Amino acid sequence: MMSTLKKYINSYTDSSPLVIFRIGFGLMMFFSILRFWSKGWIDKIYVKPSFHFTYYGFEWIEQLGEYTYILFLICAISAFFITIGLKYRISIIIFFLSFTYIELLEKTIYLNHYYFICVLSFLLIFIPLNSSFSIDNILSKHRSTKVPRWTIDSIKLLLCIVYIYAGLAKINSDWLLEALPLKIWLPSKYDLPIIGDTLMQKNWVHYAMSWGGMIYDLSIPFLLINKKTRNFGFFMVVFFHVFTRILFPIGVFPYIMIMSATIFFDSKVHDRIILALKNVSKIKFKDYKIKDRNSLNNKFSIIILSLFFILQLTIPLRNLAYSGNLMWHEQGYRFSWRVMLMEKIGYTTFKVLNKDNGQSFIVDNDEFLTSYQKKQMNFQPDFILEYAHYLGRHFKNKGLKNIEVYADSYVSLNGRKSQRFINPNINLLAETESFANKNWILPLKNE
Amino acid sequence: MIKKIITIFSIAVLLYSCGSESGNNNNYDDGFNRSELLANLTDNIIIPSYNNFQQELINLEQSAINFTNNTDQDNLESLRSSWLDAYMAWQHIEMFDIAKAEEIDFRRKMNAYPCNTIRIDINISSENYDLNNSNHYSAQGFPALDYLLNGLTDPIILFSGNDGQNYINYLNSLVQYMLLNTNEIINEWNNNRDLFINSTENTASSSLNKLTNDFIFYYEKGFRANKIGIPAGVFSGSPLPENVEAYYHNLNNNTTSKNLALEAFVCIQKFFVGQYFDNSSEGTGISDYLNHLNAQEQGNNLSDLIISTFDEAELAITELDQDLMSQINTNNYDMLVTYDKIQAAVPLLKIDMLVYLSIDVDYIDADGD
Repeated sequence: MMSTLKKYINSYTDSSPLVIFRIGFGLMMFFSILRFWSKGWIDKIYVKPSFHFTYYGFEWIEQLGEYTYILFLICAISAFFITIGLKYRISIIIFFLSFTYIELLEKTIYLNHYYFICVLSFLLIFIPLNSSFSIDNILSKHRSTKVPRWTIDSIKLLLCIVYIYAGLAKINSDWLLEALPLKIWLPSKYDLPIIGDTLMQKNWVHYAMSWGGMIYDLSIPFLLINKKTRNFGFFMVVFFHVFTRILFPIGVFPYIMIMSATIFFDSKVHDRIILALKNVSKIKFKDYKIKDRNSLNNKFSIIILSLFFILQLTIPLRNLAYSGNLMWHEQGYRFSWRVMLMEKIGYTTFKVLNKDNGQSFIVDNDEFLTSYQKKQMNFQPDFILEYAHYLGRHFKNKGLKNIEVYADSYVSLNGRKSQRFINPNINLLAETESFANKNWILPLKNE
Repeated sequence: MIKKIITIFSIAVLLYSCGSESGNNNNYDDGFNRSELLANLTDNIIIPSYNNFQQELINLEQSAINFTNNTDQDNLESLRSSWLDAYMAWQHIEMFDIAKAEEIDFRRKMNAYPCNTIRIDINISSENYDLNNSNHYSAQGFPALDYLLNGLTDPIILFSGNDGQNYINYLNSLVQYMLLNTNEIINEWNNNRDLFINSTENTASSSLNKLTNDFIFYYEKGFRANKIGIPAGVFSGSPLPENVEAYYHNLNNNTTSKNLALEAFVCIQKFFVGQYFDNSSEGTGISDYLNHLNAQEQGNNLSDLIISTFDEAELAITELDQDLMSQINTNNYDMLVTYDKIQAAVPLLKIDMLVYLSIDVDYIDADGD
């Protein structure tokens, strides 16, 4: 057993898949940052709002105001450096740190896609994407055509984890037995050409797409790993992600997944692409000394990445520690590759009770939150709690020393009739955020 | 095996999506005709309501001219009653804060209350003001006229006294500005009616989505908060009875605020079910659209649930003291209970209804989590 492992760790493979991955990843990150910028979202999401929702444990994250633009600039430049393979190691570390910092600034726009980028870029710190066809080769005057097999395999493993957990998450009664939320979403696409007024309205299509999506997620890793089915698997990846791109506003994520899936192809395919790139770009790489072995500190990397993968395997399972309907209470919901699983919409207002005179009033959320913050806060318990505490601080600063804050909250999950979400008799200022079960969330009825 | 299923599935989807072009015509095939819904709301509710309102404003303008020519008690009384008629007609259109009306801030120019009496007094004496400037929104429209006609201690003396011409000028400029804006909006409705009812796609800016969002917004703010919640102190902790609608008229007449609220509620209910402005018939309404979308939960039909919640709220308002101010001053608890009953429809509209209408709101990327 140990010897097999040792043998595996010391085995090598062609580095060309990493080259394509580097260029693809770098370019996509570069352009998605530009896209985010050009849409004015930096201003709208990070600069304008006076209040930001933060992640538990990261409340200390410093808001940067106008300087957020500089952070995006740094992130974009590092993505560009990654693309051309210039000072790769430093660039990927800077990219990971700046991108992750951006994500930590505002919980409202949490997306599994962004989390995936954070996780992937951390992994890439330990993987020599600059082994060949990079500026670093020219600077250091050597390149490596071979890299440890585990480097490429660890990217594959991460992708497999994402797909498998995404597939497992779809095995729930709403998704499979009720075709929810697709049954709600797809008919509203009636204005799509050709399929909008026909297919999207059909009940069997909703079921077929629910089941198909689940089977797709669970089988894609195996289709891509197996050489015989790889071409078909890749076709499915392209088809599925382009299709979801047409249906839903999910930004650049589909393209990132399509690009990532190319890592599964063997080096011959990548060699051909690199040759084409060389011909087009007319970059001449002298025959540098070919170092067979990459100089990575193998042992250190392997220990860190082993821990990393143990975490990646366990984090999505932490929801098992909480009872009740996960999509309802959302404790342990994030960071678990649960994508497109629910249509949730809420309406939450807050009553501030002044204990000194017994008077109470209802807060106008528009005074404090942007429309997107309000939308997210309306149905997520940790947002509700954080906002309640923010209101508490706000009104205490205004001179109301002895107050309590209560939530009047209604939520509808996957088309169920809306029902009360938060116990209206609980003073939220007396509750604190923690991993402990939030017993002030009322259970979902009729389950 | 799984591979085969996927192959068959994907080929089937591909084939089907390629081969279904024959179904591509203008009638969306989910069986609901959104244009018909929009046409009913536009032709039988919105435009007739505006036309009626315009007529009331023309009457108001005439009454103001009569009062200008002959500043006596009779003309003052008829001016007051024209004002009230127009105010009642206004309740039918306040919720349509869309297109031109939205563009020119019509709602806030017409009915921002309580009015700013200090600014009104300054405007009257200085005669230097721009009604298009948002600083002057609370010095015009129905609430400002309320102050001029019902809030001044002796209007006849003021309007015919030393500064009488200033008062007369202000009165007429307010009325004419209201009419001017209304005419502009009606022109736009008449010109763009076809465009409006054919905008049936599902985007944040399409007609039905805007109309629905405005309806909900009006129910929540213009109706629930302004007419009941704010005066009852729901948002301030202590009651603010002077914030009722038509405060000055209500001081003399007692029933005004409540009547305006009830009129507004009737309009809300008529719009929801698609009942014609003239009550002659009931066409397609949002309730029918919801029924079509199968919005049924717990055996209850969502439309019926919303309608019965409206009914309960309306009953609660009816049972309040005829004078909302005295209700607030003597027993505000009932006022708060009424507010809660109105409020009960808000989650149904903002959550349950919107889930089924699946209105696209494209702020930023989202993956549904």
